[in-house]
Amino acid sequence: MRGWLSRGDWLVLGAALLLLPGLYIAFWHGGGRGQEARVWVDGKPWARLDLFHDQRLAVPGPLGDSLLEVAAGRVRFIASPCQGHQCIHAGWLADGGEVAACLPNRVSVQVVANDPRFDAINF
Amino acid sequence: MSHTLQTTREDHLVAWFTALAITIHIAESALPSPLPGVKPGLANVITLIVLCRFGWRLAAWVALLRVLIGSVLLGTFLSPTFFLSATGALASVAALGLGWAISRGLPGWALGPLGYGLLAALAHMTGQFWAAYTLFIPHPALLHLYPPLMTLAAVLGLTGGILTRSVLTRLNTGSDAPISMSRQQ
Repeated sequence: MRGWLSRGDWLVLGAALLLLPGLYIAFWHGGGRGQEARVWVDGKPWARLDLFHDQRLAVPGPLGDSLLEVAAGRVRFIASPCQGHQCIHAGWLADGGEVAACLPNRVSVQVVANDPRFDAINF
Repeated sequence: MSHTLQTTREDHLVAWFTALAITIHIAESALPSPLPGVKPGLANVITLIVLCRFGWRLAAWVALLRVLIGSVLLGTFLSPTFFLSATGALASVAALGLGWAISRGLPGWALGPLGYGLLAALAHMTGQFWAAYTLFIPHPALLHLYPPLMTLAAVLGLTGGILTRSVLTRLNTGSDAPISMSRQQ
């Protein structure tokens, strides 16, 4: 690359290479790993789950039971009486602010972190 | 071409280069974009060429006029797109001014096209992103987009710098020597 980059160019390039990973660390660290999950049924708080206490939990909704699994600091839907199974496809939730909901069965779960930087994370 | 440019008055230079930049700007606006706020920034190559050959003042004119007139021609003047684009252009012109001042004050650390291209792209993305965040979508989730957008900006800025360098090399009539910053002062 001789002749392509001057000494000043190297300086800018080096600064950019330091800056970019820093940005990922600063902005992609979300609200940190969650400590607990809150479960709502029909818009009302229904339970608070400790994410470090592994368990399976049936949450009764209008259509039947939605099954939640808590394991290794994460939570997910594993079964639900709804049609689309959007809640199951949402997969594991671990970071503060992450949400999965089964709208037909009126069950939603949100991970809460100590540092709630985000109300919600959308994809 | 270089002969004509070297012997024309400064405002004629600005007009010619701005016209060229606007043409590229409009052609580029027809390209589909993978992500909002991301485009190759080919029009900025013109800004970098003007910067390297004629200095920061002319480059600033070309960059800002291009965004203004380009938006009038595309019908986005005073729309959100325009404010994002204008904030980005202001930020990149400011960053190029800083790089230019360093290049003149400390010749040993003078920047070349790649350094300027990278600096301009990162500054443009930062300006545009913060305008989007503060003016239009003040949602914290938007911040997640900032690191990948900056990564794309860095890649596209370096690409623009490489293009600028090869154009400058050809403008210097076959000479492969590094571009002298004070050549056309």
